Amino acid sequence: MTYGQIESGDIPMIWHIVRKEIFENLLSLRFMLSLILIISLFAASSFIFVGKYKQQSQDYWEKTNKNVADLSKNLGRLNDLAFFEQQIFHKPKLLALCVEGYEKSFPNYVKFNIFTIGLPEVKASVNFTLPYFSDVNWVFIISLVLSFVAFVLTFDSICGEKEAGTLRMMLANKIPRYKVLLGKYCGAMLTLCIPLLVGLIVSLIIVITSNITGISGLEWLKILVVVILSLLYLSLFVFLGVFVSCRATCSANCMVVLLLMWVSLVILIPSLGRTASNMFSETPTRVELNRKLYETERQMWDNSDKFGKNAGNSYADANDPRMNLPARARLYNALTNAKNGIIEDHHNKMTAQALTGRNFTCLSPTAVYQRASEAVAGVGIGRCTDFYRQAKRYQMNLKEFIRSRDAEDPDSRHLIFDEDNSRGAFDWRTISKRPVDFSTVPKFDEQDLGLGHSLKLAIWDIVLLILFNLVFFAASFVSFLRYDVR
Amino acid sequence: MEASMIWSIARKEFLLNLMTFKFAVGTILCVVLVLVFVPVLAKDYQQRLEEYSQNITANEAELRKVIVYKNILPTVYRPPNVLSVFSEGIEKRLGTSAKISHFDVPEVSATTDEVNPYMSMFPALDISLVLRIVFSALALLVAYNVISGEREQGTLKLILSGSIPRHHVLVGKFLAGLMILIVPVTIVFILALMLLLSFPMIELNAANWAGIGLMYIASLIFISAMYNLGLFFSSLMKQSAISLILGLFAWVIFVVVVPSGSIYLATQISPLESQEKMESQREMTIQECRSKELEASGKFPHWRGPKSDADGAFGTGYTVVCDESCLHDASKAYSLMQSIVSNYSNSIWRLELSYFDSLLKQKHLAGNIARISPVSVYENVMSILAQSDFGSFRSFIYNVKAYRDEITEYIRSKTDNFSSYSYFTICTEEDAKEYQKNIGPFLESFKSENEQDRERAADNFDKWRNGIMARHSPLSLQDFPRFSYRPGIAKSIKRAIPDLALLVIVNILLFSLSFVAFVRYDVRSD
Repeated sequence: MTYGQIESGDIPMIWHIVRKEIFENLLSLRFMLSLILIISLFAASSFIFVGKYKQQSQDYWEKTNKNVADLSKNLGRLNDLAFFEQQIFHKPKLLALCVEGYEKSFPNYVKFNIFTIGLPEVKASVNFTLPYFSDVNWVFIISLVLSFVAFVLTFDSICGEKEAGTLRMMLANKIPRYKVLLGKYCGAMLTLCIPLLVGLIVSLIIVITSNITGISGLEWLKILVVVILSLLYLSLFVFLGVFVSCRATCSANCMVVLLLMWVSLVILIPSLGRTASNMFSETPTRVELNRKLYETERQMWDNSDKFGKNAGNSYADANDPRMNLPARARLYNALTNAKNGIIEDHHNKMTAQALTGRNFTCLSPTAVYQRASEAVAGVGIGRCTDFYRQAKRYQMNLKEFIRSRDAEDPDSRHLIFDEDNSRGAFDWRTISKRPVDFSTVPKFDEQDLGLGHSLKLAIWDIVLLILFNLVFFAASFVSFLRYDVR
Repeated sequence: MEASMIWSIARKEFLLNLMTFKFAVGTILCVVLVLVFVPVLAKDYQQRLEEYSQNITANEAELRKVIVYKNILPTVYRPPNVLSVFSEGIEKRLGTSAKISHFDVPEVSATTDEVNPYMSMFPALDISLVLRIVFSALALLVAYNVISGEREQGTLKLILSGSIPRHHVLVGKFLAGLMILIVPVTIVFILALMLLLSFPMIELNAANWAGIGLMYIASLIFISAMYNLGLFFSSLMKQSAISLILGLFAWVIFVVVVPSGSIYLATQISPLESQEKMESQREMTIQECRSKELEASGKFPHWRGPKSDADGAFGTGYTVVCDESCLHDASKAYSLMQSIVSNYSNSIWRLELSYFDSLLKQKHLAGNIARISPVSVYENVMSILAQSDFGSFRSFIYNVKAYRDEITEYIRSKTDNFSSYSYFTICTEEDAKEYQKNIGPFLESFKSENEQDRERAADNFDKWRNGIMARHSPLSLQDFPRFSYRPGIAKSIKRAIPDLALLVIVNILLFSLSFVAFVRYDVRSD
């Protein structure tokens, strides 16, 4: 039987190569080692995750319930609702199982009343004596360990066969070179899929059987997208491995080059993020923020007459002729708006600084992959800004709610502004003091982004990953076509 | 004769490796990385140094403006650490200043929240990163085929057919590996130092040099441990490809899995005491102290009289003039309150220490788990020697506490246990006696309808008050203690010894294992 006959038969030649590659890999030591390592990592990380998630959910509900309880307790009148300071926290996410996005040391808490919203703060037990570290989760295992395994599986795929002399024999037949290449690629990918899929299944089984929470349909979909992203990511490493294997003179040298490439792409370039952000963007400081807040406040007060005569005066009797309540309301609202603007600006600067570094690290496919999976899973810095946005939207809703209720009260002056004096000291009746029904008050609930929106955030990263794949595929293809098999 | 045989094996190996592709690529990568990293890190250090000296100058300027002892509220600054270029540790995560307040709790507030929290997504960057990741890989790459590779080529058979004992071969191979790896480590250190010293503001003192020297030695011990690991795999396996695979898997576990995994595991096994709990306790203690202070000062009804009506140093005020009863009451009240504050500040100090200890407990657990990886042990040694670990920060905090006590003692000795008038005012007994006489017409004038009268009365009072102010110049604080924090290298070395010893033990252990494996090695080629 010749190769020609098989080629024309039912089973294509490429499948033979793939099968041979897989069997060869399956029986090798490196495959066994990776299988054991990866499955145990997936299992261990999932066990730890389950414990962590339980703890976090308990904390979260404790704090959230306390906030709601405080709200209902202090809620006598509309006036009180307006000035009540709410404290809200990040909801723990199940998809942190896939990727955590460094959220443990990010701000996860914000407090606000209907007028002002503070800077998001870190309210978690962060141990600053520990070095920066990444949680061991799916993306960690895939981006650091499996990418390494991809290199270990492919480093001798071409030059190893040349050394053994089998490559020459294979190519002596009719089979086109690109099919050999694709066969090698598919073989490596399928071999990689085994530890990956077994690991994922083990991890999911652990999470599902621990009964911490159900996985919703949307979450399943997102998990699927993360898995597809992981395959894209691993595929580019396989292509890169095959490419270097085509270029190297012997398999030992190939491993050297791949190892150093791996170190640069996966560890060194992502470490340069901090330096890049310090170089290319300004560092916002608390001192500067406080100075700006102070200056704005002083400026406003110095020009208080701009908002109406006697805007700066305050007396106990709301009808005192020396006082001008509507002007005062305008002044205070302008003041809170300006302050809110400054705080928001500061927050934007902080995130911009971090994102500058992040964008720089995207020279490395690892950072691209991490960023894309963070966007899909709805964690990380994007989630932090989204949370802040949602808190602000909720604040606006609450303000609207108060405004509409206030409008119903003929006794109120309908001047909703943030001044201590209008709260208790002086009875100005700027906001209605009618009782409110707690059940009608809107409450904060953090919403996850839909799949479409998440994909939209990740789209550029997905394109980048595909581009990396294409580039390395083209490189390995060209190199292999011109390969000297002697 | 025997020694010369070992030597000739070592020399042969050394020269053979020096010409290899892996050695060239690895060394070039390291040189490039140092060329990229060091200027960036040095510039960053220089910037922090500039900020530090600006802060120190501003603090000194304020000290020169102090008029009453109550206003002495200096801030101390942690000098940036030049060795953080080599190992950053947690240097940049910690606050750089501590405000010292002798009459209030908390007495010392060291900040950690000055930095942008979103930046915590980036790992620390320093030279030890290059050393521990690139060099450990290089060591394994050099070592993986020293035995199994020679067997494959058939040369091992030839060597051992001579009269040379096996352990000589192994020692020769080990020495060769050490020699070959010393080259890039030395290049990296020399290059880094040259780049560092080319910055005009950067100076290294004796302790720094000692630290760098020890870091160099620690790096060599670490590299040799990684080489021994490769040697062990090489003498365990018959094929060099398998030794390489085993070595690489061990490497990826040591470099990637253990450092993150150990911390992840530790934070789960021993969760932190909630920071909120600590803070609420702290807040409670402060409240309690405030109410005690209020109670004590309540016994002296007139002490609230003196307002801080003039701007003093450090953004606080002081009293220019007040009446006699107020002067007497205030001096007693301050003295009494000081004793209350010192009690409470001690209990807050203990509270903070116990919180630090709970952080440290978790850190130690993580560190102990991580000790299975020589890479983590080495990282730890480097940050201790660079004095950028938490231990060094803690010694800074202790120094600050000692300095605070020193300041309190200084003020106590100068102000007769906080009871002399110069503690809070420049007003003397004589001025206080004249107070009524001068403020009387001023207060009377408020009742007057005539604006000119009012102005004249105010002018008169101001003239008298300014006269008192003019008589006083800022305190001469020549003998005032200055804060100096020079972390001693001796303590760091002491802390680094256990981990250094561990690295040496790993070396010995791995070498003996390779010895056992090599003695039983089957040199026949297939």
